[in-house]
Amino acid sequence: MSFDKKLKYDRQLRLWANTGQTSLEGSHICLVNATAVGSEILKNLILPGIGEYTIIDDKRVTEEDIFGNFFLDEDDLGNSISSSLAKQLNELNTDVKGYAVSTELSELLRGPAEFWDKFNTIVITNQVASHDLDALLDLLWERRIPVFLVRTAGFYGTLQLFAKEVNVVETHDPAMFHDLRIINPWNELQEYSDSMDIDTLDDEMHAHIPYVIILIKTLEKWKKENGGKIPLEYSKRSEFKRLVESMSRNLEMEDNFKEAAKATHRALQFSQFPPLINDLFQKVDSQEISMDSNVPIFWIYVKALKQFVEKYNELPLPGSLPDMTSTSFAYVTLTKLYGEKARDDERKFKDEVIHVLKASGNSEADVNHNSIHSFCKNIHFLYATTGSRKLYNNSMISAIMKESNSLECSTLFIYFTVMCYFSFADSLQSFPNPGDLEKFKAFFRNMFSLPSSKPLPEGLIKIFKEVIAHSSQSYHNISSFMGGVTSQEILKVSTAQYTPLDNLYVFDGVHSISEKWKI
Amino acid sequence: MFSIQNNQHDSSYLSLVSNVGPFNEFIDEYDPNEAFNTLSNARVLVIGAGGLGCEILKDLALTGFKKIDIIDADTIEVSNLNRQFLFRSGDVGRPKAEVAAEFVKRKSMGKNLSIVSHYCRIQDKPQSFYKQFDVVICGLDSVEARRWINATLVSLVDSNLNGLIPMIDGGTEGFRGQSRVILPTVTSCYECTLDMITPKTTYPVCTIANTPRLPEHCVEWASVLEWPRRFPGKKFDPDLSEHLDWMYETAHRRAIHFKIDGVTKELTLGVVKNIIPAIASTNAIIAASCCNEAFKYVTSSNPILNNYMMYSGDYSIFTYTYSHARKPNCPVCGNHPKTIKVPGSWDLRDFIEHIKEKHDISIGTPSLATATKQLYFRSPPSLEEFTRKNLGRKLSELLDDNEEVIVSDPKLPISLRLLVKLE
Repeated sequence: MSFDKKLKYDRQLRLWANTGQTSLEGSHICLVNATAVGSEILKNLILPGIGEYTIIDDKRVTEEDIFGNFFLDEDDLGNSISSSLAKQLNELNTDVKGYAVSTELSELLRGPAEFWDKFNTIVITNQVASHDLDALLDLLWERRIPVFLVRTAGFYGTLQLFAKEVNVVETHDPAMFHDLRIINPWNELQEYSDSMDIDTLDDEMHAHIPYVIILIKTLEKWKKENGGKIPLEYSKRSEFKRLVESMSRNLEMEDNFKEAAKATHRALQFSQFPPLINDLFQKVDSQEISMDSNVPIFWIYVKALKQFVEKYNELPLPGSLPDMTSTSFAYVTLTKLYGEKARDDERKFKDEVIHVLKASGNSEADVNHNSIHSFCKNIHFLYATTGSRKLYNNSMISAIMKESNSLECSTLFIYFTVMCYFSFADSLQSFPNPGDLEKFKAFFRNMFSLPSSKPLPEGLIKIFKEVIAHSSQSYHNISSFMGGVTSQEILKVSTAQYTPLDNLYVFDGVHSISEKWKI
Repeated sequence: MFSIQNNQHDSSYLSLVSNVGPFNEFIDEYDPNEAFNTLSNARVLVIGAGGLGCEILKDLALTGFKKIDIIDADTIEVSNLNRQFLFRSGDVGRPKAEVAAEFVKRKSMGKNLSIVSHYCRIQDKPQSFYKQFDVVICGLDSVEARRWINATLVSLVDSNLNGLIPMIDGGTEGFRGQSRVILPTVTSCYECTLDMITPKTTYPVCTIANTPRLPEHCVEWASVLEWPRRFPGKKFDPDLSEHLDWMYETAHRRAIHFKIDGVTKELTLGVVKNIIPAIASTNAIIAASCCNEAFKYVTSSNPILNNYMMYSGDYSIFTYTYSHARKPNCPVCGNHPKTIKVPGSWDLRDFIEHIKEKHDISIGTPSLATATKQLYFRSPPSLEEFTRKNLGRKLSELLDDNEEVIVSDPKLPISLRLLVKLE
């Protein structure tokens, strides 16, 4: 990366590093509808340097469009809205390429489906005709292109992610776990530990034994005294912790023993197998994943990992080491030991990957060292989930119709009301006015096939009133808020780092609260 | 029936003001005309023209605010351009407040919008300056500046709540941020929540000096120990490339000596400047939340945030909204002194070090007095000299048990009352 770029992007490279930036710069995002919220989403992606973007909108700029949109002005009136918006947005960052498509969405949908393949992520904003939305969602679902649907209505905003599956390797999990192999040290680590005769060390050196070594040695002692057993239960681990402390010459003065005691529970617990890995192993062998040439690389790795575990009966070592009180020399030696073992495991893991690639009809040339490295490093923090193509399900409908929550202001009420608000406009060619409450109620019942015998919850009707009274699709604070939220999610998907929304988010700007739901 | 007097039929927020909604707290008294009037006449002060400030200015301009002031003492740097979207590479070196104000005014031609920029520190303005505003919105990255404006706004309120100016405060770090509404003397203030701030990572001096293990230890060695030794009395400036190069090379040499990997120029800069990661998206979220609260407050169209919202986007999306309680012993808005227990055998110097480090006090350069005597004062020089001898004296000689000590700092308009219990 050039010096200028490094400097310009310094504050974000500290979040996702060069790998994330490269992914971002290789991404092409597509915005459907040049709305206020859409403009804000693009602004927040263009500034950090997304590769390319395309705006799909066939309309001409009207006065309505200018209000609440920072990137359109009076000079644009009457011109193509997608071109006008792209022109202004392009000024934000010369690294980014922007395109405008002034074709009607329904026409694009009638055209070749390959049109959509160049996009890595699609974001649909506000109003789209129901049949077009369905057609587009179906098409992209099949092509495994993630779609965000974002809507702003008055003080409310909703965001939904439609993705067949989401797998993340670099989750940046904040849990500071380190796989230290205290219970099962490999030969080199054991030898290093054995080479230290801690009883003969002077006080200064004794106070600088790295806690990894303290724990390994204490465990040996424990096993001798307890018939070779490892302290797994909580009470045993607490007892073990006291044994660690008792090995210090002076606990007040020896920070390394304090650190060892503090790390006891995690170090002993952590050597057990993480449950998520077992789930992934089950899934990779099930019918859900077909191991063919189209399978996402994530599942190739999971399958390879399973074979690795069957062969070596342990996971590849991530190799990271937390900071700990130690002499520089001992710490550097340990870093090297962990690093070498991690590299060694990575090589063995790569062999399994090659094996799986071949077996599933893929080319060996698909091996990517960086992504294998990152997978091994993050083995304890992997994330995988399956999404939904649906806009809602029946249990959500029964939840909102439950009488017990009739007075609650549930964010689900908001979600359904906003959905209905845009369908109303689609069907009746105008957004509801304050006088349209009864019409809106009837529309809602009809849309979600609710029997007229059952009354709508009062809390829901209150949300109807709020949305109808404060009817606006471009109140800028909500456009900007939802633009920020959506762009964060797109950044996570585009950099393949951090964990995205799963899968529905609702913001209530009246009460400044939000909630998420899984459909 | 409501009629719009304003010529600008800005439909993006028109209905929000002209129609009363079901959550309005004053449904019977709500008057749309009045709400429009207050909105277009409200004087808003934006503090900070950085990542948050640029967003705030845009949000206010697009939601009907007409009289805005913006204050910032910084100039534009290249590393701002990934998020501070009102600036272009040609603006590097110019004052942020001026460029931001010019840009938004140019964009809002014909909207009758006034934006006045102030290129100075907030501390340079007198109290009378702050009194003219109806709302203050902060987009700052400095704890000290927030404490200063918070204390100033609290001091403007009298016992009948006259002079109350809400302080709406935003902050971001990476994918996370928070927005809050402070009604000085009514809700918890910034100082009440000082203990919630994550302290800056520090490393023990003996590690830095003797047993470095991490690249950060090497940088700290170069900046904390080597720089003052090599250039006594000279201030290190991370923005000067020759300073930064020296720092990086010195740290790098030490890392090689101890066989430590990972000292890079970016890491060096990150450690010496305590750089916080920042992206446009998070600034957009937090600024919009702050401006939404300002809009609701000024128009009375909906209830305002009571009083704290946290946003976190690194693991899915999570927000937490709650009412942070006031602290009765808050040095700024509270009435009770804070109790502190210390050994009577300590000398005054130990005591000063202790309160400097205490997280919920965090006063960097304290001066101390009791009701009857001066314990230690940093200025003027004659008083410093006169009180210096107390530094070596035992607390038990200087204070009675349970005596109140008043701590002040020239950098903050605060005096903190400490009730000192001697053990």
